[in-house]
Amino acid sequence: MIQRTLALALVLAAFAAAGCVTVHPYEREFLARPSMDGSSEDGETAFRAHVHDSREGATGGHNSTGGGCGCN
Amino acid sequence: MLFVLSASTVRADESSGRWTGQVSLWGNYYWETSTRVEAPGAAFRLSSPQGIDVHGDYLMDAITSASIAAGVSSDRRFTEIRNQGSLGVGHEFDFGTEQLRLDVSGRVSVEPDYVATGVTLSGILSMAERCSLIGFSLGYIHDDVGQVIQGGASAGAALSNRGRVGQLEGIQAGIWYSQILTATSVLTVGYDLVHNSGFLQNAYRQVQVAGMLTPEHHPDERTRHSFYGRLAWIVPESDTAFHLMYRVYVDDWGIGALTPEARIYQGLGGGVTLRLRYRYYNQLHSYFAPPMGGYTAMDSLYVTADQKMGEFQSHLIGFHAMVQLHFLSESPLAFLEQGRFILSFDYYLQGSRFGNAVIAQAGVEVPF
Repeated sequence: MIQRTLALALVLAAFAAAGCVTVHPYEREFLARPSMDGSSEDGETAFRAHVHDSREGATGGHNSTGGGCGCN
Repeated sequence: MLFVLSASTVRADESSGRWTGQVSLWGNYYWETSTRVEAPGAAFRLSSPQGIDVHGDYLMDAITSASIAAGVSSDRRFTEIRNQGSLGVGHEFDFGTEQLRLDVSGRVSVEPDYVATGVTLSGILSMAERCSLIGFSLGYIHDDVGQVIQGGASAGAALSNRGRVGQLEGIQAGIWYSQILTATSVLTVGYDLVHNSGFLQNAYRQVQVAGMLTPEHHPDERTRHSFYGRLAWIVPESDTAFHLMYRVYVDDWGIGALTPEARIYQGLGGGVTLRLRYRYYNQLHSYFAPPMGGYTAMDSLYVTADQKMGEFQSHLIGFHAMVQLHFLSESPLAFLEQGRFILSFDYYLQGSRFGNAVIAQAGVEVPF
């Protein structure tokens, strides 16, 4: 399963690299909407990432926090 | 996961020479059977007319727990406070057809039995009129791990005389690539590598080994790999956006995990956007997870009582609403009119023994 997923990721990456059609800034009206601006959710993402760090074995590592929350 | 192609970072007004920025206030809440976390936080970003960004944040975690993992042997509740702050500075260098943004930041987290520090250098190279972005990050962490037994053994102001039991080092390297595919779609893929060494178990947890309680003992090295991708597209006619995310994780403790996630955003007009999300998480157990029937004396090299070392699945269903505050323009709160209010609620069905949980968040973000 993991191998197939990695293969899919590589195919998507190749697709992205091959699809370098320039979309000019004045054509990005739709991409500027809040629903397409992932960085607009940084505020809530930070805490949720901390929750996943402390409750899942496959997240975290580089921003480990305290032992009191069971993060390690 | 980074997703910055259409990032609308607040920029300084170069013509007026004014500093600009954004202030954010957040309230975060986490609830499960044995643990509650209340975590208010604040963040700011300032941009100078010369293009230098300064950013920082502060978060206070108030963790109320009855868990033995937090150092108690009865079901008595107690609250531990963790303070975390970060500060960073960044600048974008313009080379004409390409731009390079560099950012360096530091972070400190302090609680009675744990001090965590870290520095991160990150960069983004923008090409083809910012249609293509390549990002990287390099990080280093150093944690001091202590053990404070409830009711005593915690004399002294420094962690070094509060029963320091070990330290944890870590290096992190990440690279990602983001590409605008069309006027309505964006693809991001990335890879993160983390290597930790040092004290990687919990200082309090104990494990039954052949009928005897013994301290948890994990390997002192761990190398983690994460591959991720995100495809986002919008249907302008209905103002509906779809985000599909996928994350693959493997490490040398035998844990592998797959995390698909889907989000649907719906604009309702009047500056209101709703979001529904579903996240599935499925992980394999580490090679030293407790065997059926428990540990025997033959298993005594590495033993764990950590739920995160086992095999389990979880589901997360979430709802989020974001409201632009334009409607305050005629009110005494007009200074907030450029801001937005965000409300988020997630229900977290955990297949581990932590049990189901609720994550609730509310925030206000105001640019100036």
